[in-house]
Amino acid sequence: MQATPSMPESMPSPGGGQAAHDLTRYEVMYQALRARQRKPAHYTGLDKVAVMARARADRLRVTRRSLMAEANRIDALRPGIFDLSESQLDESLRASREAFVRGRADDEQLRQALGLLREIARRETGQEPYVVQLAGALGLYHGRVIEMATGEGKTLTGSIAAPLIAWSRSRLHVLTVNDYLAARDAESRAPIYTRCGLTVGAITQEMPPAERAGVYARHIVYGTPKQITADWLRDQLRIGRLKTPWSGRQALTRLGHSPQAAGLAPLVPGLHAAIVDEADAVLIDEGVVPLIIAQPRKEDEMSGVYHAAARIASRLDEGPDYTIEHVRRRAELKRRGRDRLADFFGEESDPIWRAPRRAEELIKQALAARHCYLRGHQYQVVDGRVVIVDEYTGRYLADRSWEHGLHQAVEAKEGVEVTADRETLARVSFQRFFRSYRFLGGMSGTVVDGRGEIEAVYQRPVIAIPTNRPLIRERWPTRIFRSSSAKFAAIVDSIVAQHAQGRPVLVGTRSIEVSERVSERLEARGLAHQVLNANFDETEAELIAQAGRSGAITVATNMAGRGTDILLDERATEAGGLHVILTELHASKRIDRQFIGRSGRQGDPGSAQIFTSLEDELLVHNMAPLAAFIRRRTAREEISRDRLARFAVRQAQKKAEARDRINRGHVLRQDDWIEKHLPGG
Amino acid sequence: MRDRPTFSPMWSRVHAMKPRLRSHTQITRQHYRGKRWHVVHDPASNQFYRLTPMAYEFVCLLDGKRSVEETWHLCLETHGDSAPTQVEAVELISQLYNANLLMAEETPETEQLLNRARQRVKKKAIGQAMGIMYFRIRLFNPDAIFTAVEPIVRPLINRWGFIAWCVLMLSALVALAGEAGTLFDSERFQGAIAPANWPWLIVVFIVSKIIHESGHGLVCKRFGGQVPEFGIMMLVMFPAPFVDASSTWAFASKWKRVAVGAAGMIFELAGAAIAGVVWLATLDTGGVVNQFAYNAMLTASISTIIFNANPLMRFDGYYILSDLLEAPNLMQRAQNLIKYQFQRYYYRVKNAKPPTVQPGERPVLIAYGWLALAYRVFLFFSITLFVMGQLFGLGLVLAIWTASVWFIIPVGKWTHWLATNPQLAEKRGRAVLASIGGIALAGVLLGGVPMPDHRRASAVIESEQFTGVYAGTAGFVEDVLVEPGQLVEEGQAIAVAENPELEAQLAQAQGQFRELEARFRDAMAQEVPIADLMTERRAVLQERVAFLQKRVDELTIRAPHAGHISDDPRALAGMYVQQGEPVCAVVATEDIRVVASMDQREADWLQTMSFEQDFTAQIRRRTQPGVSHEVTTFVRRDAGDRALPHPALADVGGGQVQTDRQAMQQGSQGAQATTPRFIVEMDADFAASGSGAVPLPGERVAVRFTLPPRPLISQWVDRLRQLVQGRIDI
Repeated sequence: MQATPSMPESMPSPGGGQAAHDLTRYEVMYQALRARQRKPAHYTGLDKVAVMARARADRLRVTRRSLMAEANRIDALRPGIFDLSESQLDESLRASREAFVRGRADDEQLRQALGLLREIARRETGQEPYVVQLAGALGLYHGRVIEMATGEGKTLTGSIAAPLIAWSRSRLHVLTVNDYLAARDAESRAPIYTRCGLTVGAITQEMPPAERAGVYARHIVYGTPKQITADWLRDQLRIGRLKTPWSGRQALTRLGHSPQAAGLAPLVPGLHAAIVDEADAVLIDEGVVPLIIAQPRKEDEMSGVYHAAARIASRLDEGPDYTIEHVRRRAELKRRGRDRLADFFGEESDPIWRAPRRAEELIKQALAARHCYLRGHQYQVVDGRVVIVDEYTGRYLADRSWEHGLHQAVEAKEGVEVTADRETLARVSFQRFFRSYRFLGGMSGTVVDGRGEIEAVYQRPVIAIPTNRPLIRERWPTRIFRSSSAKFAAIVDSIVAQHAQGRPVLVGTRSIEVSERVSERLEARGLAHQVLNANFDETEAELIAQAGRSGAITVATNMAGRGTDILLDERATEAGGLHVILTELHASKRIDRQFIGRSGRQGDPGSAQIFTSLEDELLVHNMAPLAAFIRRRTAREEISRDRLARFAVRQAQKKAEARDRINRGHVLRQDDWIEKHLPGG
Repeated sequence: MRDRPTFSPMWSRVHAMKPRLRSHTQITRQHYRGKRWHVVHDPASNQFYRLTPMAYEFVCLLDGKRSVEETWHLCLETHGDSAPTQVEAVELISQLYNANLLMAEETPETEQLLNRARQRVKKKAIGQAMGIMYFRIRLFNPDAIFTAVEPIVRPLINRWGFIAWCVLMLSALVALAGEAGTLFDSERFQGAIAPANWPWLIVVFIVSKIIHESGHGLVCKRFGGQVPEFGIMMLVMFPAPFVDASSTWAFASKWKRVAVGAAGMIFELAGAAIAGVVWLATLDTGGVVNQFAYNAMLTASISTIIFNANPLMRFDGYYILSDLLEAPNLMQRAQNLIKYQFQRYYYRVKNAKPPTVQPGERPVLIAYGWLALAYRVFLFFSITLFVMGQLFGLGLVLAIWTASVWFIIPVGKWTHWLATNPQLAEKRGRAVLASIGGIALAGVLLGGVPMPDHRRASAVIESEQFTGVYAGTAGFVEDVLVEPGQLVEEGQAIAVAENPELEAQLAQAQGQFRELEARFRDAMAQEVPIADLMTERRAVLQERVAFLQKRVDELTIRAPHAGHISDDPRALAGMYVQQGEPVCAVVATEDIRVVASMDQREADWLQTMSFEQDFTAQIRRRTQPGVSHEVTTFVRRDAGDRALPHPALADVGGGQVQTDRQAMQQGSQGAQATTPRFIVEMDADFAASGSGAVPLPGERVAVRFTLPPRPLISQWVDRLRQLVQGRIDI
């Protein structure tokens, strides 16, 4: 059913694996180089308008209404399929598959196939997709990014759409938020896929490269965007100057089976199709930082220099000597600072301090590290190492480091061992990577807010799928406080009040530090609670699953336990369901919504409330003058009803969103510039 | 101070490459304002790139064997801080690469090469479409022709040739100065630019422009350049040939570059000088040769000075100026500098990227940038208004197109920049406010602040009573008793002349008469018949005495009626005046009127406003710039027809009102304007403003109406409406 390799020679793929989905090394190379040649264009000006218009038109063609109508038609097929025997079912499925593999599936066959898959899902996993999930699967099949409210069963929706896409596109990547979910879903969905004649595997961080090739050869591969992108990027480095499939074949033939040939072999056999879970997080939020493959720079010992820079920086005074731009995370030296630096540099022995521009750059970096990068927020010191903390999600990014000496400056500031600066070998933005797929679909609970951007960047229309049952979650009005301490006091009071009613409470934080702060206060009140810090493992998933028990109090960073349903017990349901408290606003409304979506799943009762204060990072960085004005104007601690305060909170979030959007645009433009203006594309 | 970050996020893309300059590129060393630069030139594609010594060193180290990374480190080791940073190195590589000067890999990147070529073609096409005012049509490659011709003229192209040229120009100028009157005789000039002469002019124009372009081509060749292109540029639909002499930019010597730039004008002016000499030589014989030489002289000198020498447009003058100032890329850098200053000081963008500016160059660039901008605006309005006046539809299309290219697109780009520029990220609100503030301020100034509103019309002086004063008797003017403009009574003496001969005759006649009288009385007593005879004689003599007496009296020239003295009779003092020669004129002031004819479209305000309550008017005479005469009474004669009150107002009579020649040929009475007119009669207080001759009937004057102050915008809108009215609703 795969394209028959045109080369006569056939040999096991480097990683071994099941014989059924082995690819020849020629084919892997061919597919990898084919994908490499595909260069997504960044549209500007009138082209952009045209592309947007096409996406709009596309959206009109496949509307929510048409999807629902189609899903209902599939639902009507159910009685006929429900009674099929196992062998009859397999037989029908084989027929459907043939149609899809040949690319000749019409609407009728699509309905039939989806009906069959629904029945298979029911028989293999015991979960029968609802009509809305069928509609979602149809949307995915049509290459849409669909919004389904959290808890509506995106995993199941994805798993009935995946076989259709894998059949017609030969290979499919399903991108999940974390390794745990990738492994879990690959395993739990395997029965459906196996029944469809498809092989499935998951790429996780621990997996050694030798095994990965075998997994990538499978039809459906689960993994995180970071893993797959990094593997693909390493492939790009490896295949280096090979440009065309023809030169790839020549190289392989020339090298024969020598180790060099193995060194050339790419892991990822092309970018055919992808379904992105949490599409907004991956396609939009992650788009700010490009993925980078780096190696330690072969440079002279610089640790002394970084320590000296940190030392000198600490002698300067903020205000007279320099100013800090918190938003851009950079320091600006003033004249007095420069003059004083000249003296300080004279005291140092390293020749680097004789070069004023470079020296100043180092000092500025040290100042930025000192003021803009705070332990617990941007990074954490773990086992004497500086580990970056994802500011969106609060999780550790152990294998990442800041570029161009910033990481070293932070290390010097913390007094830990200064590691070697890493130089970038290759980089790719997620925007560019995902646009390289021939087929792209996505699912998310909160993607509609990012519709414009997804349509402009990825040319994928966004469709919202209705919920299976009406949403009855209550959204309580946002409470605003003057100071952070008043806010936390109010949060704890609120937790206590809800807890007393027997409701489970989930507290969402932006960082581990805040989680700990809440935890301390809860302990002081003598309340038992769980703290989750987004480690993405099974225990965490279990803990979050239990967060729905009556009386449970769970404090979690917002990524913790994603993708796991919080199931309510009977008492909790009676008490009013899960209550979600957000301890501050995130830089984007979507992320707030993602967390709030934890309650009120599948028509469960639930409520959510946001607490924020004028001292929150979001307001300090984005609305500082207004926040200061409001603080002066009133002496009350709680200012939830103050119109100006509400305005400031709203505006701060809007401003942060706009800035991130601009940064993403910048990444995109930079990509485009590189492609257009630098040699070696 | 602008940041120069060491590291570039794009470094990974280039660091392992081993690029080198393409082998056929040529590098010349040039000096600009005492600083060394290296100009990289690709003769195949005629692309140029200017490198600083540091960049040059970096590029030279890229030899195809060393990687970019190694080269960068080498530079760092030797130059430390002044070495290019990664960011600068990436920029340098990308620019050289995009100019096809750098080869990045052993195998040529055909696809990218093709893409770039396609881009360049597209860019050229867009450039063409944008510059509709100067549209280029490429014809052929003239290099072979110039190569063949150049050896012939080579002996002339050196400093001796230049000195000879100077001598030629000087002698031609001196020779022509002697005939300046004939040269600038308006009739002759009018004749030369009259439509009937156009075919000749066009022939002469083409010939002189070909000489001009060969000048560029030959001198460029002489100094070793190439001339790969010859074509025709449509300057607002007017064809002018051009050659591509851009290989000049690679010349190391500034004076050679200037020479190539100036060669066109030098050759053309030499042609003009020769034509001038021919014209002088054939001035007496006249004929076709003379006329042709006159045309050639005018075209070759005037067009060159107007078009080519002007440094504000991108013609010869611009390149000469830019070479003389040692400021390459003058226009672009001037624009960039102004843009930069706006960003830096108005929008406070800290990291705005300044264009490269040499020491001392800043004021030049800024002055040039603003001048060029002002000139561009001026050119836009004058050209479009001119073309609209001639061919309204075409002018409108031209105006809309040019306006969109020159104004709307830049405004769009500016808005886009405001909305998306990452450098503005933190200050966008401020920047938007500043922009809105600036626009609002301009809006208030233009739309809210009343500004003086003046309208102009041309008028002519008319008078009921106007008498010339002539010398009744010939004689030497002894004394002039009046001054110009002086009010005289009827019979007041204006001048006293002397004619001794006449006086002698009178004295003689009187003597004879007295003698006869005595003899007559004697005869009366003695013989009556003789007395009878004498009576007849006496009558004759008496008559003669009376006649002579009258003649003598007439030597005192008197005013025929009360009024002002016009012209200056003092000029005649001591001179001999013939009988009947005009001395001056006496103008009855009460009867002087100023008559204007105004286009009804342009003067619709006349219908709603009344004199003195709403508007005032002043009259200016051409002979007295700076003196204005207040209008005292104002009457609108409701004409609405096309007849002109005075032939001097019509274009055929040298005025400004377009006349309908067909109507005139059909024999209608007097000059007929093409549009309906208002006739306006005014009295002005000419005497009050002091000295100066009283205007004579038939003199053309300018009337300025001062309307109530109005915001500029509404004034402009009014004028635009007037321009459009009657042209669109045909």
